Amino acid sequence: MTLIYRLIVVVAIILITMELFTQKNFALKINAGLVLIPLAMRALMIV
Amino acid sequence: MNELLKDRKNLLASVGVLAAAVAILSVVIPDALTMRQPDVIHKGPGVTEVRKLSDFFDGIAGTRGDTEVYVLDSGKPGASALILGGTHANEPSGYLSAVLFIENAVPAAGKLYVIPTANASAMTHTDYMEGTPRKFSIDTPTGPRSFRYGSRATSPADQWPDPDIYVHASSGQRLSGSETRNLNRAYPGRADGTFTERIAFAITSLIRKEKIDITIDLHEASPEYPVVNAIVAHNRAMKIASIALLNLEMDDIAIGVEPSPANLRGLSHRELGDATETLALLFESTNPAQGRLRGVTNEALIVQGKDDMYLAAHKLGRLFVPFGPEGEPLNKRVARHVSTTQAVFDAYASEMPDRHVVVGAMPSYKELLGNGIGPYLQASGSP
Repeated sequence: MTLIYRLIVVVAIILITMELFTQKNFALKINAGLVLIPLAMRALMIV
Repeated sequence: MNELLKDRKNLLASVGVLAAAVAILSVVIPDALTMRQPDVIHKGPGVTEVRKLSDFFDGIAGTRGDTEVYVLDSGKPGASALILGGTHANEPSGYLSAVLFIENAVPAAGKLYVIPTANASAMTHTDYMEGTPRKFSIDTPTGPRSFRYGSRATSPADQWPDPDIYVHASSGQRLSGSETRNLNRAYPGRADGTFTERIAFAITSLIRKEKIDITIDLHEASPEYPVVNAIVAHNRAMKIASIALLNLEMDDIAIGVEPSPANLRGLSHRELGDATETLALLFESTNPAQGRLRGVTNEALIVQGKDDMYLAAHKLGRLFVPFGPEGEPLNKRVARHVSTTQAVFDAYASEMPDRHVVVGAMPSYKELLGNGIGPYLQASGSP
């Protein structure tokens, strides 16, 4: 179960990182960067 | 995509935002990981052995649920007692009282077992949305000493996901799903159960294998909770709890005694008393940092226990305990737990004069109130 959860989180991180690089709106780039922080911690199982 | 990547300005902005996120992570992750480093606890003059909880049930070996069991053996015949601190890691007076016993107590008869972090996993994180600090410090004569302030429940990194409804295994009692990670709803535990149930099973196994006569589970509750500044006793332990209450009242320590409810299952004072021969008791002191009515939640609230919101609530008659401008400082809450523990040991000795546990060299209630707990904690540094 935890492995599936972490896999989903890693996929989300990849998609959001792609969004960060393709997004033209700077405010949305910052949004993407902020969302990456808790997701990275979840992927590392740091709560 | 390629066009955007060729846009030098856009690429630089993206790299900058990503670098900022990585920089924040490089600060946040090491800080969060400090919660996984156990606090330094010094072996006091009475400690004869330090064991692991997994010695009593190897199903938790190598997990964050395994923890130290400090043994203080007088070498003389007598009863054996177990003190549990840190069942709920956001109730620091229980944890610090256990540490005080480890660092100061010298048993004169019988054998004392102390587990300062009964749910060691709960010490590795804080509760979501509560805004509690990760650590608090106590001033000792040689400088401040830091302790973790954890969560009520096992870390979701160790047990996940929570069910919608938690069903207590041996009774079928149904509770909120998050209670599945609450050690004090998991007793007597199961060898093949969840992570939290296995910790509970390890503690139950210790009690059975070491033939523990008295088990004391140290807790705290918010001032608006009805069972506070109280002893909750299993029906077989009501007599010694009542004797202890009388002795404490004679020393001007106001305390109540509540019988363990027969229909509230999974708690230490019910299940350990039913499943083993031990006399099971649970103590509650008052922690304003846990309550719903609290104001600013910071280290000062944990240590000094002063809160204007609770002062106002007291004036409105909404609390179950007196709450004045002096608050409920940690010193007083630890003093209460230490004195109540000693009073229970004395009560047991009066009932079982040929088989008792005597714990000496502990500071008294008045000494802890007057001097604080700092002078009775050893200096920071390696054990």
